[in-house]
Amino acid sequence: MQNISAVIMMSGTGKLPQKRKVPALPENEKKLYDLIWSKETLGIWTADMKKETGLSNNAVTKALKSLQSKGFIKDVVNIHNKAKKIYMAVEFEPSKEISGGTWYSEGSLDLEFITILREQCRLHVERLKVATLENVWQFIRDSKVFYIDFSLQQIKEIMSAMVLDKELEELISSGVGDFFHIRAGRECYRSLKGRDGPKEGFFSAVPCGVCPRINECSPDGIISPNTCVYYQKWLGLDY
Amino acid sequence: MVGQQGVRYTISLIATHFGDVVAKVCECLIRRGSLSFMEVVRFTELHKGQVKDCLLVLIQHNCVQAFSIPKTVGMGGATKPVTLYMAIFDNIIHRMRFSKFLQIVKEHLGNQCAELLEGFLQHGRLTFELLYDRASGLSGGKAKRDDVLATFNKLVHAHYLERCPKGDPFLESDANDEVSFVRKRTRSGEKTWTIEQEAIIAAAPSDADRFSGILNLMMDTEADIKHIKNDSSLEVSAGNKRKHEALEAEEEIQNTINTIDVLWRANYEKFVQCLKKKTCVANVRSRFGLDAAIVLEAMIESSDHQNARTMNSVSSSMSSIIESVRGKPGGLSMTLEHVRTILEQLECQVCTEETGALYTVGLKDIIENCQNDEVESLVFKKYGKESYRIFRLLIKMGQLVPMDQISDKTFLEKKEAQKILCKLWKDDYLDMEKVNLNVRGRSEVFLWKVNKKVLWELVLNDMFHTALNISQKIAQVNEEFLLSNADVQKLERLRRARLILESSLLKLDDAIMLFHDF
Ligand code: SF4
Repeated sequence: MQNISAVIMMSGTGKLPQKRKVPALPENEKKLYDLIWSKETLGIWTADMKKETGLSNNAVTKALKSLQSKGFIKDVVNIHNKAKKIYMAVEFEPSKEISGGTWYSEGSLDLEFITILREQCRLHVERLKVATLENVWQFIRDSKVFYIDFSLQQIKEIMSAMVLDKELEELISSGVGDFFHIRAGRECYRSLKGRDGPKEGFFSAVPCGVCPRINECSPDGIISPNTCVYYQKWLGLDY
Repeated sequence: MVGQQGVRYTISLIATHFGDVVAKVCECLIRRGSLSFMEVVRFTELHKGQVKDCLLVLIQHNCVQAFSIPKTVGMGGATKPVTLYMAIFDNIIHRMRFSKFLQIVKEHLGNQCAELLEGFLQHGRLTFELLYDRASGLSGGKAKRDDVLATFNKLVHAHYLERCPKGDPFLESDANDEVSFVRKRTRSGEKTWTIEQEAIIAAAPSDADRFSGILNLMMDTEADIKHIKNDSSLEVSAGNKRKHEALEAEEEIQNTINTIDVLWRANYEKFVQCLKKKTCVANVRSRFGLDAAIVLEAMIESSDHQNARTMNSVSSSMSSIIESVRGKPGGLSMTLEHVRTILEQLECQVCTEETGALYTVGLKDIIENCQNDEVESLVFKKYGKESYRIFRLLIKMGQLVPMDQISDKTFLEKKEAQKILCKLWKDDYLDMEKVNLNVRGRSEVFLWKVNKKVLWELVLNDMFHTALNISQKIAQVNEEFLLSNADVQKLERLRRARLILESSLLKLDDAIMLFHDF
């Protein structure tokens, strides 16, 4: 929780510093610091530093250590490759490409936090029967369950994923009945509790629908309906 | 176009209903396209008499349609008509739906009508006279002609029965059209029709004739009786010992199919349309509730569509919707305001005509919704929850989507999303495109989408494969059933297994219809 709150407060595209301090530094460190600073919110990988500055392995390692101890640079986790250490000037916050964005913490999705937020969204929708995005957003803010503020966009991302999972459905308000508090024609959400998740399909209900061997199965083949174990089990003939 | 498994399944249906020899002739026509009598003989290596009998059976049961085209013969360039036979794939597939057709009529018009319809489903094409004979035989001579006629006319007026198409329509060829080789022609400059489609159009009776019913029994009866001998030869007897000369065999087919008797048959188009209505109404009921289902049903019923495939939307005026709604159980208490709200919920388009406002609801969208449900459920069961989420996102977006966007919107780690996407792509559920961007140090971006057209064909092919598998299993269970008559427990198990298989086949067919017939 602690971690994600820090991340949430950052901008998704990385924070830009107002002004650059130009410290007095030994030559190698200065060269390296300038390079790292120039990469802004993207940061730079050690191997690329060596390539771009022409410095030796040793020199780079030494300079990095010194810059870090002086508080000019920091290392950040890269979600694309956690083993690949990236350095960035302390004035910058990692860009979405590096940190993974809003819902990441220490380079991983904060699943526990996302689950709690989803649950809260669902509760608010169910309480109102039908709710707009703004309704849910407002409720989450007022509920004070979270000590951080979410943007409307962040709540929309969560709700959209819930629509994909068929926990919620997106509807157009008719302005009457359950929709009376929402202006007709506005987009809104309703809980699918009781009929949530995927519908059982006619095809997927039969073993062949999900059978990994269907392409090898033929009437007279080694794999065939007559010898199929999935069928025997399905039909209760595997005694 | 139907895939290989669809073809296999149709052939197995024919083999089960009419035997292997008829299936062989049918297979030859399905795989090679329309053929002349002699071509069928050559390709199947069957006797001419056998081919003749098989073609007659197939024609009798509406699985084959004959048509003639002019063909150049000899040096002088003289033309003479030659008859070709084409298999009608859809009509063969409909054979697995007969129980559904019967149920529709039973619910709508009652048992008597369903019994008459059964005669057509069993025998294919019948004159009224033959139909009456059958009804009379079944009732032990109690059925009255007038009653049978009234029931028959009821079926015709409701469009459940139709007059048969012409037996052998002649297609004029364009001057420079070598019909035997070029099987596609262009009509009115835009739409390309295959010669088979043209034959179907040429054979079809006019709408007025098609559903006119029988007004004067005496007139029709005279014609029927005159040709009753011909009709009885429609059914092929096993011990048929006719001469096997090609000409005579062909002539015999011609005599039979060109009878001047008025023949009637079940109108499959109407039944498929009813089933489409049922599917759409059920889908809307599950999404928007009972009242919305009543309104949709009313709208479909007040439209005059005849073909399920072209019934992509239906339009009605408010007054006819209300009238139709009020005639339904549960619809009487619905107010105008309530109906209007439902029409909005169903996202009806409104257009104003001279006669007033017309409301249009898109059935295509509803069917698409059902199709998506079917494939999404497959993805869920086969690949799990996360894959389901990704797949639904891509279906919703309907375009190429970059990997990063997919993982963000579905709340999945990039690596996991990539793994899922690759798996779905490998199994042909997705299309992938690689784009070279050279931005921010990353040169390659992967874009993904669902190629519905290709995937839907693939799924349909697998569904036909499954239908074939289930039918094969039913045959095996039936065989075992006959062999194990002593073991009561085993018999009970087999009986239960057969029940599961048969009901699954019917439900699977509902899914097949979503992708093939609607
Ligand atoms: S019959 Fe058995 S092996 Fe063949 S496709 Fe179906 S489930 Fe798979």
